[in-house]
Amino acid sequence: MNQANAKPATVIDAHELSKVYNGHQIPVRAVDNVHLHIEEGEFTAIVGPSGSGKSTLLHLIGGLDAPTAGSVILAGTDLTQLSENELIDFRLHNIGFVFQAYNLVPVLTARENVGFVMQLQGVPREEREARVRTLLEEVGLADKAESKPGKLSGGQQQRVAVARALASKPRIVLADEPTANLDSVSAANLLDIMARLNRDENITFLFSTHDQRVIEKARRVITLVDGRVVSDEIRQ
Amino acid sequence: MSWLNLWRNRRRTLITAASVYFAVILSIIMRSATLGVYDNMIHNFVTFSSGYMQVHLKGYWEESNIDNAMEHRASLADTFGRVAGVTAVIPRLQSFVLASGADQTKGAMAMGIIPSLERSATRFSEKLTVGSYPRSDTDRVALLGEELALRLKLKPGDTLVLIGQGYRAASAAGMFRVAGLLQLGSPELNQRMIFLPLKRAQEMFGAESLITSLALQVGNPAALEPVHQRLRQVLDTARLEVKTWKEMYPEMDQFITADSSGHIIMSGILYLMISFGLLGTLLMMTMERTHEFGILIALGLRKSKIGLMLLGESVIIALMGCAMGMLSGFGIVWWFQSNPIRLTGQLRDMYISYGIDPVIALSTRPDIFYIQAVVVLVISVVLVLAPVWKVMRLKPVEAINS
Repeated sequence: MNQANAKPATVIDAHELSKVYNGHQIPVRAVDNVHLHIEEGEFTAIVGPSGSGKSTLLHLIGGLDAPTAGSVILAGTDLTQLSENELIDFRLHNIGFVFQAYNLVPVLTARENVGFVMQLQGVPREEREARVRTLLEEVGLADKAESKPGKLSGGQQQRVAVARALASKPRIVLADEPTANLDSVSAANLLDIMARLNRDENITFLFSTHDQRVIEKARRVITLVDGRVVSDEIRQ
Repeated sequence: MSWLNLWRNRRRTLITAASVYFAVILSIIMRSATLGVYDNMIHNFVTFSSGYMQVHLKGYWEESNIDNAMEHRASLADTFGRVAGVTAVIPRLQSFVLASGADQTKGAMAMGIIPSLERSATRFSEKLTVGSYPRSDTDRVALLGEELALRLKLKPGDTLVLIGQGYRAASAAGMFRVAGLLQLGSPELNQRMIFLPLKRAQEMFGAESLITSLALQVGNPAALEPVHQRLRQVLDTARLEVKTWKEMYPEMDQFITADSSGHIIMSGILYLMISFGLLGTLLMMTMERTHEFGILIALGLRKSKIGLMLLGESVIIALMGCAMGMLSGFGIVWWFQSNPIRLTGQLRDMYISYGIDPVIALSTRPDIFYIQAVVVLVISVVLVLAPVWKVMRLKPVEAINS
């Protein structure tokens, strides 16, 4: 990893990014020649109908899947040049994920789930615990620190997931349909928290969504259709 | 985390650990009973015949003739008695005789012993079933194996007449009062052994102050070789030799080796069966969590660490079952060692026909227990390779979408 060459202002630089899945007969172009440039502090939504390639694009940007063509440069590092373990380590230190289905580790408490990534990073226990407390307070769940996911509502679990995504102090948080499983109140709460973190702490968020509430909050909206970027709207 | 994961499906974990538990108990009992029978057979046979090890004149074992007797010197016994691992040095003089009762004659082995020494060193007196044990080391009395007494129609108080060849072609003859009958725990010995006080045997055979062997008792019969080596270092090897029971009775050692391999195969089959159970559980636990593994990889957990987590889960399940199995197994073995099973009917006859005492006294050798732990640990480590291999091949996106 070449952190030294990182360009602070640019978090993501995707060039001619394509992903083709070889179906039984016809190859499917899930992402088709996408160029994308995301700068630090953006609050961006990738929108589009189901099957438009939103999740695939997030997976490619997050290094979870390898592109068929093109490159993804994240914080100055070309992800396509990294080995499997280098990619895992890169994600650990640079990317936070929020998934549609929360995906907390069920046997760990909220506190342990948030601290888990920092533990992998080797953050000392005291520092870890302090940051976990801060993050849980920021997402309004300080009183649920010792609760396991099974005892939390969907909205609470997703807030823990956001805290977990931020725990590693990532360069960017990738959120794949984060509000899709939430009721309107929980979704609004979650969006407020993420918008505040973006505004106050300059954390970069990139969402895939077709939730109108998320789209309304976003300051930039990229629309995908059939794997292609058909519009890229920046709002004031 | 491995520990926490195990309790996600408490029932499955407990059932899997229980399968290990029962396999360990069964294996311990099987192995303990097998080794117990062997130990008992060896103990009964060698204690009252050759000893676990024996020092005698060079060439005596190949030509077990009283003419190959040696001087009974206290200094020799002292020297061997000081060797680490040797617990008793027992002088004996033995030769073949014709034994006669009222109207029956039978070939037998007459062995001169020091009754007081045998009582303490081999607990010989505990084998007495009828009659009384010699009160002094010079009484003109004889102790007979039960089977031999039955053949000769002798009972305590009767007169036993012995005729044989003495030292250097002298004729040997003697008349002894039957003091008691012995159940020696070896059918072969029961049929042919006559024990006389050493002094009286030496008189009868014309072998004053001579013995044919020094039988050696050892503290740990399972570890004879180091003692054997130490004895050879202090032995006058030009004149004397020391042999272990395995060298003296290779057929018994071979029988045990052959019979033991059958039991080891049985244990292997048992462990193979639980291996499939454990493998099924591990694969199920892996399949169920494929999605979760994908998430963990996405968050930054290396696949090798997930593999270690699975290894931890497998080892914990195996060790839980193993520890409980070892504890319960030890309890069962300990009880049966104090209360040995006396076989009856056809099984008893079969054991006797093989020259084995029809008693199952379970062995408490430590290796019976810790070998189970090692075997189970190895199984749990080997089995986890299958799910680890699956994890190493996981693609994060496919796992997350599963």
